[in-house]
Amino acid sequence: MKRSRLPLLVTIVVLFFLYLPIIILVVNSFNASRFGTGWQGFSMRWYARLLHEPEIWRAARNSLTIALGATVLSVVFGTTAAVALHRFARSRLQRFHYGLVYTPLVVPEILMGISLLMAFAAAGVRLGLGTIFLAHVTFCVSFVAMTVLARLQDFDFAVIEAAQDLGAGWGTTLRKVLLPLIAPGILAGALLAFTLSIDDFVITFFVAGPGSTTLPIRIYSMIKYGSPPLINALSTILLTVTFTAVAASQRISRSKG
Amino acid sequence: MKADTRKKLQEALVSSPSLLWLGLFFLFPTLLVFVLALRPANPYGGIGQGWTLENLRRLADPSYLEVARRTLEISLVTTVICLLLAVPIGYYLARVSLKWRNLFLMLIIIPFWTNFLIRVFAWKVLLHPEGPIKHILVFLGLVGPQTSLLYNAGAVVLVSVYTFLPFTILPIYAAADKFDFQLLEAARDLGARKFQAFRRIFLPGIRRGLFTAILFVFIPALGSYVIPDIVGGPGGELIGNKIAQRVFVDRNLPLASAISAVLILSVLAPLAAVLFLQRKDERPEIL
Amino acid sequence: MSEFLEFHDVSKRFGTIHAVSDVTLEIRKGEVFSLLGPSGCGKTTMLRLAAGFERPDKGRILLDGRDITDLPPNKRQVNTIFQSYALFPHMTVRENIAFGLRVAKRPKPEIDSEVERMLHLIRMTDQADKKPDLLSGGQKQRVAIARALINKPQVLLLDEPLAALDLKLRQRMLIELDMIHDEVGITFLYVTHDQGEAMGLSDRIAVMESGRIEQVGTPVEIYEAPRTSFVAAFIGDTNFLEGEVSGLEDGEYSRLEIAGVPGIICFNDKSIRPGNPVFLSIRPEKVHISRDKPQEERLRNMMPAVVEDVIYLGSTTKYWVRAGELRVQVLRQHSRFFLDERPIRWNDPVWVWWHGDDGFMLERYREVDEDLLAIPPRKVGESDGGNGKS
Repeated sequence: MKRSRLPLLVTIVVLFFLYLPIIILVVNSFNASRFGTGWQGFSMRWYARLLHEPEIWRAARNSLTIALGATVLSVVFGTTAAVALHRFARSRLQRFHYGLVYTPLVVPEILMGISLLMAFAAAGVRLGLGTIFLAHVTFCVSFVAMTVLARLQDFDFAVIEAAQDLGAGWGTTLRKVLLPLIAPGILAGALLAFTLSIDDFVITFFVAGPGSTTLPIRIYSMIKYGSPPLINALSTILLTVTFTAVAASQRISRSKG
Repeated sequence: MKADTRKKLQEALVSSPSLLWLGLFFLFPTLLVFVLALRPANPYGGIGQGWTLENLRRLADPSYLEVARRTLEISLVTTVICLLLAVPIGYYLARVSLKWRNLFLMLIIIPFWTNFLIRVFAWKVLLHPEGPIKHILVFLGLVGPQTSLLYNAGAVVLVSVYTFLPFTILPIYAAADKFDFQLLEAARDLGARKFQAFRRIFLPGIRRGLFTAILFVFIPALGSYVIPDIVGGPGGELIGNKIAQRVFVDRNLPLASAISAVLILSVLAPLAAVLFLQRKDERPEIL
Repeated sequence: MSEFLEFHDVSKRFGTIHAVSDVTLEIRKGEVFSLLGPSGCGKTTMLRLAAGFERPDKGRILLDGRDITDLPPNKRQVNTIFQSYALFPHMTVRENIAFGLRVAKRPKPEIDSEVERMLHLIRMTDQADKKPDLLSGGQKQRVAIARALINKPQVLLLDEPLAALDLKLRQRMLIELDMIHDEVGITFLYVTHDQGEAMGLSDRIAVMESGRIEQVGTPVEIYEAPRTSFVAAFIGDTNFLEGEVSGLEDGEYSRLEIAGVPGIICFNDKSIRPGNPVFLSIRPEKVHISRDKPQEERLRNMMPAVVEDVIYLGSTTKYWVRAGELRVQVLRQHSRFFLDERPIRWNDPVWVWWHGDDGFMLERYREVDEDLLAIPPRKVGESDGGNGKS
């Protein structure tokens, strides 16, 4: 059957469309010109300037800390959620549970942001890094849960029964059979949570206090009021970091099978 | 009986961490939004005492209705464009060899790894009046030197499509991957032309993927904030911007709640519709 | 009967694999024609070429005199029954069957009446509004057939349609297919690897291997007069006995010397000359076995032997006997109550014999074809497995 060329064409055009802005960004970060409208020679000055921006480093540190903490907590909650959803699949409790876990994935971020803000305001909680942390855990749990759940669905539960048949107690079965087998899924979920937390803007924006910044918030204010070339340089750095991190994780997950 | 209650206890135990956390930090705050919409603002930028319908009255203002209409329109257009692009791509990826498939999927996902703000900013640069695209288009005579590519609804649609396209491609590809392409051969064997087979057999065959794709574009698009904020300008303001303005500019939290409540309801409607349609197809799966 | 579906010198290559090589075939109108062969022999490719899903690299395909080589599948008057049936899962039985007519934009009353007629033909009027996932394998197949037949194709292409069914169902569906063919009368091109299906259903069979046609003929011709060792081994079971032509006898017969046993008579229709090496192929059911020495007759080959293996199969028993260096497989039918006889057991001395007309000499012999036999012959000197049951 002769194949139409159209799908391939669309794919290529779309790929080009997807990469165009990124390429421009990276190129411009080495552009000596201040306005990025014309090429004025290769330069690393914007990267050099970045090194002297303490605000940015503080924001980066905040982002990292929050991301690490949120990852740990959301992995715990997400994994237990996934196990519950998989193991007790048909019960009414789980159907409600599934809805509760699934919905944060589809609602716009601004709704999560605003509702958390309202909750904190009504409870009189002061906005700051703490509230950011709580918010991040909340939206990360769903992503981790779905990732681990997908992995669990490929998982043959008979293995657990086999372990028990061979004499292993719950603790041993958990440690030696269940966790190692779903570890790749948990790792993938953790990586996802980490990336989402580092990257998050909208929710963070709504629940951040006046003094607390994260990297995305800093980037936002730079976009609105600051110097474009610095953003280019910062973006390129972030791009490289994320790229290497995810590439590494892909290699790890592929070698683990 | 004992085993049964033990199982129920186990279930409750394992489910409780996530149920409690999400209940406290997701479900409860969402419900709170509806409650606070009915409260007045206090002069210090917090929530006042008592109940009022003032916020709801303000929502009926034509400026809000206009923004709502624009939000709906832009979300629909974005969704349609994304689907029109994602279906051929998903079809192609499902048919091509594994090696190419992984490569293309990787290429489609990589931009997703970059910071979202940065990507929107990159478009701001690209669409800038002094930027490269404008130069090219003027050179080709497609636009006049005065037309602005930036700060309008069109820019919002463009950047929205850019942002949401990977989320449409993936579920459609996943559904196309499960599709039995021999059905298309059967259709052709029975006399259908290529496009007829595509329309009558392929599209219904991937409808689960289509539903998910629509879900992952339309709903986030309704709640767009960053994109209209950075590239939308005053002509591209959406509901999300209005909410943010009420919070950060006016410090009127209850009014922001009211707007959010409306947004929540308008998000629940398509969500419920899609879930209902999916359940009609018997087994609701993750995708 | 005239040539209806013709392949002229058709070749098709996939990368380095020659799926079909220079095949010429003529299928007659109204017949059931089978392409029979092991997986990878090219039979499915032939079917897809006929359907239009593949284009030949070389050669032409004609239908009713018209060259259809370049026609896309939806413009050919042929319809395919796929191995997996390929029923449209989102449509009911009725909608599936109606599809071809809907696409052809026939008027609604015509579609409705034709669909009812088909439902009646396959006896599924009650299940017309079910979706395919609720149907059994046999039912799905009937729907697939109805969906194809409603378009009144000139040829119906069947791609291993019974492969997904279990044994009893397969036997029943085979009879049904036969009935449908008798009723409707269109040409069937049937692809299978199961010789039972092919033999039972077909008017003629083409045995294929590695992209080529080994032999075309009626089931009887294929079975009783195979031209190559592949056909002899693939269809049914046979003994391959290696030897040499030692002389001619009576014009039509040759004397063979096989494994040191001289004077074996065989019908020579291939004019193989004395001195030439030859392989004698004799089917087990044509060999007789008994404890007593049979009468000597002119064209009868007989030899004393010792029983090495016995497998009791109910209606028949298989014996492997050794006569000197020869190992011969014998199939014996029990036409009388078996318990009345004294059964032949291991190590019993017996006589085996067969008529000179019943064997055939092979021009083309390949050792690898022996692997197709149910139990390949063991060479002299190999150890006994002792896998016989009594």
